[in-house]
Amino acid sequence: MTRTPLRPLARVLEARAKGENPDAIERENIRLRHERMRDRMRVRAESRLLMMAVMFVMLFAVVGARMGVLASTEPSEPRASAGGESIVAQRADIVDRNGRLLATNLVTNALYAQPPMMIEPARAARELAKIFPDLDEEELVEDFTGKRKFLWIKRKISPEQQQMVHDIGEPGLLFGPREMRLYPNGRLAAHVLGGAGFGREGVHSAEVIGVAGVEKAFDDYLRDPANGGAPLELSLDLTVQATARRVLEGGMKIMDAKGATAILMDARTGELVSLVSLPDFDPNDRPVPLTEGDPSDSPLFNRAVQGVYELGSTFKVFTAAQALEMGVAAPGTMVDTQGPLRWGKFRIRDFHDYGSEMSLTDVIVKSSNIGTARLAQQIGGDRQRVFLERLGLTEPTPVELVEAPGIAPLLPARWSELSTMTISYGHGLSASPLHLAAAYASVVNGGCKVAPTLVRRAPEPGCAERVISEKTSRTIRGMLREVVTRGTASFAEVEGYAVGGKTGTADKPRPRGGYYEDRVIATFAGLFPAHDPDYVLIVTLDEPTVSALGEAQRTAGWTAVPVASELIRRVAPLLDMRPEIEPGPAFGVKLTGN
Amino acid sequence: MSYLEYKVKTVPSGLRKVLYLNWALILLIAAAAGFGFLMLYSVAGGTMDPWADPQMKRFALGLVLMLIVAFVPIWFWRNMAALAYGVSMLLLLAVEFMGSVGMGAQRWIDLGFMRLQPSELTKITLVMILAAYYDWLDIKKVSRPLFVMLPLLLIALPMALVLRQPDLGTALLLAAGGGTMMFLAGVSWIYFAAVIALGGGAVAAVLMSRGTPWQLLKDYQFRRIDTFLDPASDPLGAGYHITQSKIALGSGGWTGRGFMQGTQSRLNFLPEKHTDFIFTTLAEEFGFLGGISLLSLYALIVVLCFVSGLRNRDRFASLLTLGLGTTFFLFFAVNMSMVMGLAPVVGVPLPLISYGGSAMLVLLVAFGLVQSAHIHRPR
Repeated sequence: MTRTPLRPLARVLEARAKGENPDAIERENIRLRHERMRDRMRVRAESRLLMMAVMFVMLFAVVGARMGVLASTEPSEPRASAGGESIVAQRADIVDRNGRLLATNLVTNALYAQPPMMIEPARAARELAKIFPDLDEEELVEDFTGKRKFLWIKRKISPEQQQMVHDIGEPGLLFGPREMRLYPNGRLAAHVLGGAGFGREGVHSAEVIGVAGVEKAFDDYLRDPANGGAPLELSLDLTVQATARRVLEGGMKIMDAKGATAILMDARTGELVSLVSLPDFDPNDRPVPLTEGDPSDSPLFNRAVQGVYELGSTFKVFTAAQALEMGVAAPGTMVDTQGPLRWGKFRIRDFHDYGSEMSLTDVIVKSSNIGTARLAQQIGGDRQRVFLERLGLTEPTPVELVEAPGIAPLLPARWSELSTMTISYGHGLSASPLHLAAAYASVVNGGCKVAPTLVRRAPEPGCAERVISEKTSRTIRGMLREVVTRGTASFAEVEGYAVGGKTGTADKPRPRGGYYEDRVIATFAGLFPAHDPDYVLIVTLDEPTVSALGEAQRTAGWTAVPVASELIRRVAPLLDMRPEIEPGPAFGVKLTGN
Repeated sequence: MSYLEYKVKTVPSGLRKVLYLNWALILLIAAAAGFGFLMLYSVAGGTMDPWADPQMKRFALGLVLMLIVAFVPIWFWRNMAALAYGVSMLLLLAVEFMGSVGMGAQRWIDLGFMRLQPSELTKITLVMILAAYYDWLDIKKVSRPLFVMLPLLLIALPMALVLRQPDLGTALLLAAGGGTMMFLAGVSWIYFAAVIALGGGAVAAVLMSRGTPWQLLKDYQFRRIDTFLDPASDPLGAGYHITQSKIALGSGGWTGRGFMQGTQSRLNFLPEKHTDFIFTTLAEEFGFLGGISLLSLYALIVVLCFVSGLRNRDRFASLLTLGLGTTFFLFFAVNMSMVMGLAPVVGVPLPLISYGGSAMLVLLVAFGLVQSAHIHRPR
């Protein structure tokens, strides 16, 4: 930019020559310069204003356009949706083998509070304490007036209770829908079903998860929406279960036992038609586990599956079966029963003295420890162990209860010859009643191994895994029938159902070693009908005592057996079994004798 | 042109000033305020209490104030600029120490007869001081770094104080208003380009810092951004305002439900229905037509301010008028954008319509300054 000098010399001289005032030139130039400057400024300011104007117009246009867009949209209420994984609303039902409901769902409400929204916390607390007597008014007041913004008051409330809470009229008390698990039959199959609780919990819904039993074992299945709500069908028969439970409860009282269990198993398929463990609980309101003392005293304890006991003489059948199978002895073979049998410092005695020898059949029928131990000596420890393994007596049962996989039989640390002898008559090896049921079913059903199951299962043709031969199985069935007709389980006779079975009475071990004199586990392992068994029944009583013949009787023959026979008498008709006449001597133990 | 150059004789004096008022502007302001009274009446469920009546009284008081301010020569106000700025800074400081807390933020001083919100006042005094500064400053020097720093400091001081209240919306409005003043005063492009680049970088840095150990914003601030970007993500929480006001606008449609028929606002679905979100009521009851009418009113007011500012050859008066026009524009543009979900929710009232004393009075005083500049322009 060229600047015009304020006092251009040429013009000043020229002006002087004309006699004009040269200062006027300076003023004129200053004015011109100012005007140019102002023009430049103006141009600049105007360009900037233009920019502003463009921006403003654009903003106006955007706001106006937005207004138009919003005006032309259909208003719609927003929908709230929880982020993350959705909680499956419907848990599948559980039904028994005839489709009767064992577990279903019920929509109820949870009650929670938002103390900042409360108007009269003290009154709300007082009214709530009236509706729910287990709530403490003072604690509620503390919670409502403290800093907490949110608290659960009740996880499940009934519609009546909900109405009463509504009637308080407190805006800070709110409800969240809850789907809860309902067991309409209460205690009936408590240990099988287990129970359910809430998992992840939100205000608007909560996840129902299985906490025990089949509810937990089949948790994934029950929650899987892909199953389309198809119920889980169990092998249990609700009617049989109810009857068995009632009979066992009565028997437990009469026998003054502190616990009892009954297992009714289909001898061919391993399906559990009934499984009762007493004392039991209501799965709708699961008690809290014991924090101290013996967990096996808790009602939550499933004696049939979790109770590992020495099952006593019921094991003799396995020894006899193996002896027959190996050809060590035949039913008529005479066995040395001279007692007591000394083994080092250890002595094996019989309950009664049976003389110097008796036949194998009689060893079972009369339940001779010595005779069985002698047979075991001939069989040998290794072979005994292999045989018991094949019967499934050394590892956890595959039954579909979440508790089962953790329950392995207790085996001797070293399978010595003495162990072999004691195990042969059921001491030194502890197993659960369910183990026993499965092993009995395998032995008496013709020799095919069965696995216990709680799910309805079609019978498999043929024999997947043979444990003993058909012939040995038949012989054993004959012996077990004789135990009832003329042996230790004579009370088990139920006319028309040809019950067979074996008793077992084992002293309970003291916690610090040794055995109690007066506390026993009394077991009856039965089958019916004995010539072609459909069902295997195990009844176990914990510490039974009954006075008979003027003294306290504890042996299974006096305690477990009468309960079992009553159970069979009641249950057999429900199982569609007709009383029938036992086949004659065509099935006979004696035929195989010499 | 300095005020010494005014030919005082050509400037109207005494009551003759009334004839030289910008009457069109006054009419437009009154029309917008009238819209506001209607809305406040409707929101209150068809009664003058509790909002419409006090609002009308304040508007009357404001009009008187506006005339008084308008009749005082503009050069007096230029001389007062520094003082006004100083006083408003002192008031902002006073809020720090003796202000009341309202709606989670400390914003006003209780004067007894009214609650004064110094941050509102600052919006005017900042424009005044900047206009006076650029009037004083030789135009050749405006882009020199030292003379750029000074107005930046003048803007930063009230911003910092307002941010402490905390009131992010007003702070951003102050920054935008101040920046516009500098832009109109002719500060070099380079500075604005640098600020925009820095601002963009800062925003990017803030967004990228999310979830890292050096996270620059609090989690709730990030959530607000999320809610702004997608109000549906939290329709009952932070997105509630926006979602509900969008429903109101949608249900208003093109012609609206009719006066006093808005359900969204009258059934208390909307929070702040008589203050920041009053536009939703208007849009619901008068629809798109009502909304666009109000927008046109506002646009006309801004245009009148700009025409007056452009035609004023006095630099202070011109800058002041343009700056106040811009401030007014920013007010309603931000409020409307916020209500319609175009901008995040910041507490900015709808000028002349929202219920609120400080804002109304301050706005009318600002228009008084515009009128004063108009009356006392060099001819």
